[in-house]
Amino acid sequence: MSDASLTSEPADTLVPVTVLTGFLGAGKTTLLNHILTAEHGRKYAVVINEFGELGVDNDLVVDADEEVFEMNNGCICCTVRGDLIRILGSLMKRRNKFDGIIIETTGLADPAPVAQTFFADEDVRAKTRLDAVVTVVDALNFLQTLTESPEAHQQIAFADVIILNKTDLVDEAQLKAVEDAIRKINAFAPIHKAQKGNVKLTDVMDVGGFDLQRTLSTTPDFLENTHHHHEEDVNSISLSLKTPLDAGRFQMWIGALLQEKGADILRTKGILNFEGQSDRFAFQAVHMMADGNDIGPWKEGEERESRLVFIGRNLNRPQLRRGFESCAVA
Amino acid sequence: MSTPTELRGLIEKRGASRTVEGHITACAASRDNMRFAFTTAEGDVIVAHRSDLAEPASWATYAVHDGAALALAPDTDPGGFLTGGDDGRLCRLDMHGEIEELGKTRRWVEHVVSHVDAKTAYIASASGKQVELRDGRGETVLKTLEHPSSVTGIVFDAKGKRIAASHYNGASVWYTQPKSESVRSLEWKGSHTGIAIHPAGEALITSMQDNDLHGWRLSDGHNIRMSGYPTKVKSMSFSRTGKWLATSGADVVVLWPFFGGGPMGKPPAELPGMGGALCTRVAYNPEQEILAAGFADGSVIMIEPESQRVLPVCLNGGSAISALSYSSDGCLLGFGTEDGLIGLVDLSAG
Repeated sequence: MSDASLTSEPADTLVPVTVLTGFLGAGKTTLLNHILTAEHGRKYAVVINEFGELGVDNDLVVDADEEVFEMNNGCICCTVRGDLIRILGSLMKRRNKFDGIIIETTGLADPAPVAQTFFADEDVRAKTRLDAVVTVVDALNFLQTLTESPEAHQQIAFADVIILNKTDLVDEAQLKAVEDAIRKINAFAPIHKAQKGNVKLTDVMDVGGFDLQRTLSTTPDFLENTHHHHEEDVNSISLSLKTPLDAGRFQMWIGALLQEKGADILRTKGILNFEGQSDRFAFQAVHMMADGNDIGPWKEGEERESRLVFIGRNLNRPQLRRGFESCAVA
Repeated sequence: MSTPTELRGLIEKRGASRTVEGHITACAASRDNMRFAFTTAEGDVIVAHRSDLAEPASWATYAVHDGAALALAPDTDPGGFLTGGDDGRLCRLDMHGEIEELGKTRRWVEHVVSHVDAKTAYIASASGKQVELRDGRGETVLKTLEHPSSVTGIVFDAKGKRIAASHYNGASVWYTQPKSESVRSLEWKGSHTGIAIHPAGEALITSMQDNDLHGWRLSDGHNIRMSGYPTKVKSMSFSRTGKWLATSGADVVVLWPFFGGGPMGKPPAELPGMGGALCTRVAYNPEQEILAAGFADGSVIMIEPESQRVLPVCLNGGSAISALSYSSDGCLLGFGTEDGLIGLVDLSAG
C-alpha cells in the first residue's frame, strides 16, 4: 500500500486494462470507437462515464460514477475510485467474456485515482493489470487548455502513450509547439500522431505500458531537462545505471523517497537490473503506491542497464541521482 | 459440465452437487424453505426443489438476466425469488418458473432484500445511489431513498421497521413506514463496502475497504472499530440471538462477541479454519448455535463454536466459495463457487 512492496505476480494471467484520458473534445470517444470496431478479433469490456461525448458501439458497456474516496491508510494523496473497484470486481466474474477492459475517464478527471485503484485494491490487483494510460491530446486546443487547467498537466504526466489527435487542423509550427509542450511535462511517453483517432491498435492496446525498454532506450538524452523550469511545473527526469542494483537497498531507498515526496512525484517507472536475477524487473509507482514484477530475461547481447524515470514537481535531479546510485551493489 | 465425483464430507451422503456455467454470485432458500436458488454471473438462476434435492440434473435453470445476476433474495410470497442484475432489472422468479420484471433502471441492481412478517411485507433494491422501497408485491415503489454515493449494501432490521444502507463515509438508516421521511446518518470516513444489523437492533456493522469493520451502537451512535484482518471482509453473519458476529476475511473464522460489553475492548474468538485457506463466506444457522464457513480452497465446513467441533460439508470444491446460505429453518445448506460448482445439503433429521 503505502510502502514500496515488490511483489511478483504472473503478469500474463491478468486482464489488461487500458485507461483513456484526455480533455473534453480531444477525441476520446472517437478513438474508443475506432479501437472497438477495428478488425482485431478481440472483445473488450468498456467502462464509460455517463457524460460521454458520443455513443459507444460495444456489447459490454458499463456506466461509471467517478466516485473518488481517500484510503484510510495515512497517505493523504491516496485517493482511489470506489466505483471502479466494484465494477472491475463484477466484470472479473465474467472474465471469459472479454480479452481486455478499457476505462474512459471524463475530460476533467485527474488520472491519479484511477491509476491508484490498481495498486490499492487487493482484488483488483489480483486479477487485472494496468496496461497503459493513454492520453488523447487535441492539437488544435491543447496549448490553450494547458494554460487553463492543472488537470491537463496531470493527464500528460500520467500518460504511458500520448495520441496527438486532430493534427490535420494545425500547421507544422503549431504541431511542433504542442509536441514541445508535451515533452516538457512528459519526456518519455511515445507520441503518436492521429486524425480522427486513426491510430494503429498496437500503439494503444497491449502496450505493456511498463515494458519501458523500448521507450526508454529511444529517449534521446537532449530531452533531459536542460531548460529552466519553474518549480511548480511538472517535468521528467531519467536516470540510468550500469552497475547491478541491490534489490533490498533499492526497496529501502524508493520506499522512503515515495513516502516523503510521493505527493510531488506523480509517476515513477523503471526497468531494473537486480544483482543475481536473470529477469528484468519492472517497477512502477503512482504517487506513494508502488508495485513491480519480473518481466522476462534480458535479451541476448542486450546491455543490462537499470533505467528509472520520475515525472513530477520539484524534482531534485542530483539528489535523485545520488540516491539511485547508492542502490548499486557494493 | 461435469459433476465432480471427488467431493468429500456431508455432501456425499446427505447432499448433491452440480457444475453450471459461470461464477456463482449468491444462493438462498425460498421463504417456505421448499426451494433453493443459485444465481450466476451468466445471468441464470438455478432452482432446486427440496423433493428433488438428490437429483441435481433435475434442478431447473432459468435465464433471467442479460448479463450477471448480482443479487438474490427470497420473494415475499412463499415459493419465489427476487433477483437483481447488471441489466438494470429487478425480477421475480415465481414458483411456477415465470419471470416478471418489477423494475428497470440504467444502473446495475446490486442488492435486493425482502422482509415479511404478520403485518407487513417489503422489497428493497439498490442501484447506484438509490434504494427503492417497494410493497410486498413489488409493483409499487413506496419510497426512493437517495444517498450521497453508491450504495454498497442494504439490510432490513429484524422487524422491518428500518432499512439501512452502507456507502462512502458511513451508513444511512431510514424508517420504512410511509409517513417518516427522516434519515439517520451515521458517519465514519472511508469506503464502507457491506452491511449487517444486529438481530435485536443493538448495532449496525459495516465492512470497510481498509480491511476492517466499523460499527455504531444504535442506542447512542457510539463508534465501534473491529480490526486486524489481513484482507477485506466480504461476508458477515450474526448468530440467531445476536451474541456473536461471524466474519470472513482471515484464515480462521472470526467471531466478535456482542455481550458482556463487547465487542468494544474485547478480542474476537477465532474458530479453526482449513489449514491456511482464506475464509470467504460465513453463514450462521438461523435456528441453532452452529455456523457454516466457506474457504478459498473450495471447502465448506460447519462449526459448533461452543465445542469447536467441526463437520466437513464439502472438501475439494476446487475454487473459492462465493455463495453460502442456510434456509430459514436451518435444514438446508447451499453453497456455490467461483467456477460454478453448486451444492445443497439436507441437514434435517432422519
